[in-house]
Amino acid sequence: MLKRMMWPLLLILLVALVACGGQTAEEILEEETDVVEEDDAVDTAEEAEEEAQEVAEEEAEEVAAACPGDVDELTILWAQWDPADYLQQIGNMYEQETGVAVEVVQEPWGSFGDLFFTEMAAQGTSYDMVVGDSQWLGQSVTQGHYLDLTEFMVEGELAETVTPATLTYYAEYPTGSEQYWAFPTEGDANGWAYRADLFEDPDEQAAFEEEYGYPLAPPETWEQLVDMAHFFTRPDEGLWGAAIYTQADYDAITMGFQNTLFSYGADWASPDNDPRGVINSEDAVNALETYRELYECCQPPGMSNAFFSEVNDAFISGQAAMAMNYFAFFPALINPDINPYAETTGFFVNPEGPTGAQHAALGGQGMSVISYISPERQEASLCFIDWFAQPEIQTEWAALGGFTTNQEVLESEFFLNQTPFNPAFAETMTIVKDFWNIPVFGELLVISQRELGEYIVEGQGTAEEALNAIAEEHYQILQDADMIEE
Amino acid sequence: MASFEETGPRHPVTESARVDQVHPRARFFHNLRALIVIALAIVGLIPVFAMGLTAFKSRAEVVSIPPSVVFDPTLEGVVFLLTERAQLSPANAERLREVEDQLALFDRIALSAGQQITGPSDFAERLINSIIIAGGSTIASVTLGLFAAYAFSRFDVPGEDDLLFFILSTRMLPAVVVAVPLFLMYRQLGLFDTHFGMILLYTVFNLSLTVWLLKGFIDEIPREYEEAAMVDGYSRLQAFYKIVLPQAVTGIAATTVFSFIFAWNEFAFALMLTSQEARTAPPTIATMLGRGGIEWSAIAAGTLAFLIPVIIITFALRRHLLRGVTFGAIRQ
Amino acid sequence: MSSLDADVRPYPEEQGVGRPRHLSERAIKGLFIWPTLILLIVINFFPLFYSLYLSFTDYSAIANEAPVWVAFENFSRILSSETMWEFFITTGQYVFFSVLLQLILGFALAMLVRHKFMGSGLVTTLILVPMMLAPVVVGLFWKLMYNPSFGYFNYLIGFDNPVGAPDWLASRFGGEVVPGLALWAVIIVDVWMWTPFVMLLILSGLKAIPEYLYEAAAIDRASSWFQFWRITVPQVAPLVMIAVLFRTIEAFNKSFDLVMGMTGGGPGDQTEVIAVHLYRVAFQGQWRTGFASALAYIVLVIVIAISNLYIRNLNRMRREG
Repeated sequence: MLKRMMWPLLLILLVALVACGGQTAEEILEEETDVVEEDDAVDTAEEAEEEAQEVAEEEAEEVAAACPGDVDELTILWAQWDPADYLQQIGNMYEQETGVAVEVVQEPWGSFGDLFFTEMAAQGTSYDMVVGDSQWLGQSVTQGHYLDLTEFMVEGELAETVTPATLTYYAEYPTGSEQYWAFPTEGDANGWAYRADLFEDPDEQAAFEEEYGYPLAPPETWEQLVDMAHFFTRPDEGLWGAAIYTQADYDAITMGFQNTLFSYGADWASPDNDPRGVINSEDAVNALETYRELYECCQPPGMSNAFFSEVNDAFISGQAAMAMNYFAFFPALINPDINPYAETTGFFVNPEGPTGAQHAALGGQGMSVISYISPERQEASLCFIDWFAQPEIQTEWAALGGFTTNQEVLESEFFLNQTPFNPAFAETMTIVKDFWNIPVFGELLVISQRELGEYIVEGQGTAEEALNAIAEEHYQILQDADMIEE
Repeated sequence: MASFEETGPRHPVTESARVDQVHPRARFFHNLRALIVIALAIVGLIPVFAMGLTAFKSRAEVVSIPPSVVFDPTLEGVVFLLTERAQLSPANAERLREVEDQLALFDRIALSAGQQITGPSDFAERLINSIIIAGGSTIASVTLGLFAAYAFSRFDVPGEDDLLFFILSTRMLPAVVVAVPLFLMYRQLGLFDTHFGMILLYTVFNLSLTVWLLKGFIDEIPREYEEAAMVDGYSRLQAFYKIVLPQAVTGIAATTVFSFIFAWNEFAFALMLTSQEARTAPPTIATMLGRGGIEWSAIAAGTLAFLIPVIIITFALRRHLLRGVTFGAIRQ
Repeated sequence: MSSLDADVRPYPEEQGVGRPRHLSERAIKGLFIWPTLILLIVINFFPLFYSLYLSFTDYSAIANEAPVWVAFENFSRILSSETMWEFFITTGQYVFFSVLLQLILGFALAMLVRHKFMGSGLVTTLILVPMMLAPVVVGLFWKLMYNPSFGYFNYLIGFDNPVGAPDWLASRFGGEVVPGLALWAVIIVDVWMWTPFVMLLILSGLKAIPEYLYEAAAIDRASSWFQFWRITVPQVAPLVMIAVLFRTIEAFNKSFDLVMGMTGGGPGDQTEVIAVHLYRVAFQGQWRTGFASALAYIVLVIVIAISNLYIRNLNRMRREG
């Protein structure tokens, strides 16, 4: 029986052998690069550029030279997804330059948080750094898992290289304290993809203008977005207006709703943490009704439990004229191998609300150093972050597909022209806003997920009832956690 | 079931000997029954076929409307399953496209997705982990379970019902809650992320099933056989080995299949109690996130590849699984 | 080991004088049972009692704070919470209907494949395939299957237009809200997946029925109906009970993989079974380990109560047999 069990393995080996019959892309690229480099020798302009790069590399080496030599490998924990692969490539560059190996350990999203927090509860030293969710800040800081990076970020002048909004949400805790615990690494937030082939079709434009009295273009306000979603919802043609987040699991529907909530000028709580009268304010009610209207009228079928993957699937299948998603998942939409509409897919920033407020729900992560590792390892980790934060490396990071938060890079021609969604991303990075990041965020999240799910997806009750329930229950939790002064 | 011992001599009875089955009408029903079973098996397999189709679909094909049955198959899923890749810069992709015909098959497929293979994925490693852990724990739990079941069945064990219930109750506590204390314990004992720890855990997890199932099967075997053998000079162990084991083969086969399937597919503990070294394949397959979402073709390909060993084992054991216990066939 | 080796020899005369002829029955009994019990106790003792202790405390496994004793607060909070009762009712419906359907279908299937026909070995193996798949992937995949636009399911049952077709996991039919549809969608998958398990157990029970019983009945010209109720059912009843027992326990505790993959408990709370809710409380950013332990113990008590009912029946049947 054991022999028989080996068959599949043999089969895989066989397939691998067949697959390897021929040159690998890596080999060819290496050969080609040699040729190209020879050509470059003639091209003075490129030579100059190369020199500049070398200078940058030397500088980088200087940074590295100041680092302790005992540590020759570093481990970073992150979730299992493409950006972590890109970070691994950055890590490989670091190894080439400094000899310090960097391993990015990737854990599936579903267990990423569980693994990290259980490891931290045991004061584990398996990882030197973690690229952790912004929401973890409170929990991790109050429990002492993260090293205080305030001095490192401020005196090392790292804090001023990233956009202020990302510094606040990825690094600062408590909010407003100017104490920093992470380096904003993967900037991310919600934006929108749209079908330019539909939006730029003269017939559609004429029909839209006739019906709504203003020209059809990527929406600038939520009101316009809803109009357009209605306009493009044509079940008979298999087309719906907008694909949005509805998943009950973890935080998806809350993230999606925040895009309207914040842009309608509302928030989860007052500055002194009281949710009553804030999350159930009139603006918030309007925001929720808008989100529900989008779900009712314009969400493609089968999207009652939808998050980034389902939204992209709906867009790729041609069912959605517009799609809300994290920028991290937009590269798939400009890849013609994945998305048949890739050539005509455009992107826009989360639109503004009736009061002119404009915010986008935050995703993404900051890189923190674990406090339980030895001082030498902490030092070596800081060295890596210091190196990683340099504009050259941040450019490299962006070129690989990572989402930099570096202001200079975000504003550079190179970055803005790199992909069709980068301009929208750069703008979004200035308007991001986040959910709670205090230790009890998980409990708050469960409440909002449940109430929002019941109202938006299941259609129970009214927006006011749902938000009143959230306000009441959040108040209880915050009070129990001593977050609200009596 | 031992009460039928006295009712008469036990001869092996072949099907054709049965009066009600030689009748033409019975033959018709026999064929009809076969047809219904085959039809039901096909209906049950439709979702698996669908998965098979998905394994060879491109990302856009997976979400084509209506779902396609005939399409241009691609090996993307297999490539994504077995390799690690990096995104190619447009310039490099362009360069490679010019020399596409020199490329190996997998590299060409990766290139068509604008990617470059950087190395093998850890799927093969995880598959080997799965084989070690599921195989080891199945052997252990069936062996231990067989001994315990025999003892419970044949001996007068004080507090038997309570002990059996205790064994069963170990399965009743929801895994998500046991996982936290187990995690703490495994960390302390150094069993976290080890093959041995996982084999131990799955063995314990499956013991309740194996003990209960095998006891059910052994109960069916008349004890008179062993008693007769022991009168003939066999020891208890010999009687167990030579008389009970051959009779219990059906039960052992079924129990082996179930234990293996449970251990093979277990997800929650594997996710909680392993990380790099001993992680099995299910958490790897189920969480494959590709370019901008769930990589359906790779998950389907992985799931089906992962299914093959189970099917092979089941098929190899099918004769035992389906064999009737022919009483009286023992020639001693 | 030497005494075991000695025992394999068929002729006791060959054994040395003064050594025991055989391992005593008592020794064999101990040798057979204790390894299993010790293993179960060693691995289960700590988790079982530690989580029992935690159920009386306010504790988070990821906080560096010792558990705070709160006596029965967790339990009273759970039992007085209306939503918890809803989750229990949902779980009850899920367990009841899926186990019932599995039993009926599994029994019917087992009766059908009971007698050999050409290729029955292969067909039976194929019937088992659904239960061989990893539940976590099954959940994920059925979500795709159920998609009204690009899933196969609706097309196969005759809805070829996504508009006006059931959107199973959203509990909608042609845009109208149909409460319970999502729960049934989950039950269908559970039944699809686990009917083979019940079938195989019943089948092995059927195979163990001595043919002469039927022969005797046939000679007496007893009707097939009579044979079924008087011979088949009583003879397989113990294995049916074991099958139902295990399916019930699993449906309570392991429905998590399927439900999480398909609906995540939604829409709203419609498919929020206890196993999913437990996960949500125990992990996923909440980490209320104490509260989750209390909930788990309530589940445990319920499962023990139901199992006891089954087992009492099982034992009665065994005695009657």
